[in-house]
Amino acid sequence: MSAVLTLEHVKKTIKGNPIINDLSFSVQAGEIFGLLGPNGAGKTTTIRMIVGLIGLTDGDIIVSGKSVKKNFEEAVKNIGAIVENPEMYKHLTGYQNLKQYARMHKGISKEKIDEVIELVGLTERIDEKVRTYSLGMRQRLGLAQCLLHDPKLLILDEPTNGLDPAGIREFRDHLRMLTETKGMSVIVSSHLLSEMEMMCDRIAIIQQGTLTDIQYVRDFVDNDQMVYLIETGPLDNVKNWLQQDWNATFVDSGFTVSVNKEEVPLLLNRLIDSKVSVYSAKEIVKTLEQRFLEVTTHTNGGL
Amino acid sequence: MGNLLMNEWIKIFRKLSTTIMIVLLLLGIVTMGAFYKYQETTSTTQVNENWKQELQTQISSDQEGLTTAGENNANMKTYYERQIALNEYRIENDIAPNNEQHIWTFVGDSQMMISLAGLFSIIIAAGIVSSEFSSGTIKLLLIRPISRVKILLSKYITVLLFGILMLAIIYLFSSLVGLVLFGLPSTDVSHLAYSNGEVIERSISFNLVIQYLLSSIDILMIATMAFMISSAFRNSSFAIGISLFLLFMGGTATILLASWFDWTKYILFANTDLTAYFDGVPIVEGMTLSFSIVMLLIYFLIFHLLAFGIFAKRDVAA
Repeated sequence: MSAVLTLEHVKKTIKGNPIINDLSFSVQAGEIFGLLGPNGAGKTTTIRMIVGLIGLTDGDIIVSGKSVKKNFEEAVKNIGAIVENPEMYKHLTGYQNLKQYARMHKGISKEKIDEVIELVGLTERIDEKVRTYSLGMRQRLGLAQCLLHDPKLLILDEPTNGLDPAGIREFRDHLRMLTETKGMSVIVSSHLLSEMEMMCDRIAIIQQGTLTDIQYVRDFVDNDQMVYLIETGPLDNVKNWLQQDWNATFVDSGFTVSVNKEEVPLLLNRLIDSKVSVYSAKEIVKTLEQRFLEVTTHTNGGL
Repeated sequence: MGNLLMNEWIKIFRKLSTTIMIVLLLLGIVTMGAFYKYQETTSTTQVNENWKQELQTQISSDQEGLTTAGENNANMKTYYERQIALNEYRIENDIAPNNEQHIWTFVGDSQMMISLAGLFSIIIAAGIVSSEFSSGTIKLLLIRPISRVKILLSKYITVLLFGILMLAIIYLFSSLVGLVLFGLPSTDVSHLAYSNGEVIERSISFNLVIQYLLSSIDILMIATMAFMISSAFRNSSFAIGISLFLLFMGGTATILLASWFDWTKYILFANTDLTAYFDGVPIVEGMTLSFSIVMLLIYFLIFHLLAFGIFAKRDVAA
């Protein structure tokens, strides 16, 4: 697979405050990539740097082999984006808005505009002023705007903000269709986990301007192993082998571990042999949400 | 670039406020025409038989002025010399000073409307960049494969085109209103211009075009400044406020300062009225046409360096 987007040690400092610290990742062709993080973590800043709205303090961003820093026009040609809310010219109609953006790219035919309008399902209302549109319709017009020039990379910042569940579902289907039929890569940012889990192939967790984790969503779904929370007394003597042999994660009241059911007695026996008091062992359904909270609270605690 | 200009043009002309501006301009000209027409019908203008004698008296008083004031002020000297030459030319060639109202005098009077056109151009200049920021559309505009410099340039050219359109509307519409209300001049009239010690007759309609352009220079400069403030501070009310204040007060304040300080000549507004070099007296002694043009160019460059420098570099974070 080839990388459509690569961030290389990207740093951003605003008035002496580091906003983004040494961020590196890449997005593959045809992949839906999620940027997840609490508000203020640097998701929007990262996205703005990719599309060139904000300059880089250090590092570089490569889109389709072209540097955003050195070759902005060539690089950004391959990107379609909605940054935060899709703000349009309210005094123009939907169609006039699309024409505005079509004129700024090379070779967008009238047919192409109509095709995109059809795709996002705005055909009936396209000749009405954007002022009269609902938020959902503006989102769809925003999506139409970034599909006009058939970009290789679609960047959507908080795309489902303000959409109702049906709208979110529809939006998700759109994305799937685009990546599968056109081979587009998509970057989606959100602070809503459940949504990201359903939408993305891979999710990066950003916190305080640093990449804390990248996960394949499929890993969770395909995994036969279950996660168990073992409530125990002090673990000081056994921490070493728990970590090495079982890859345990420690929490306040004990630890969690991801194992097959048959292995549970084995683990418990070994704990009891080591004179660890075991109070309970229960199966927990581990979602990305828990993983996310784990990662983020861990970092917060470290402060 | 053509596409960018078209985009900007559409954005401006789809706004209701732009239509209102044009309607106001047209209404202003019609009202002015009606007012002048009313004045013309109530007052009777008689032909002054003794105009040659009166001009002769004027010439001798001007000559007196030339010997007294002209001695120590080069600009006043040129002024008197010009007045004398023009009046002598009139007597020699039997061209009576004409008080008759006709299409061209009305087009000339309509120059008053240029400040209104200036007001509108400044509003457009102040809003064309900052409104993209306040509506958030700047984000969708700057992520196109087009450099920021080109985008800003297309916006500035649009402001210029808008100003030119406003001037053209005033000129053409006042010609029409003037023609309908006052008709063509009864005798052949031409504009008497004085250059290099000689009096030449010039086509009056062409001379009016020049006058329109010359009297728009202060508007061009203030609109450029409004554009600069708007792109640098992204705030249209700030840009409009400062610019309008300067448009209406700048000239007066400069004239006041000019009577005390010599350095006033470096102020923008001391240089915007280039007609002074053709028909009047520059406000500070020793100023020349080329000095003013250089000053205007310097201001123009500073405004654009600021506008483009800040716009191209700054992060769009809001």
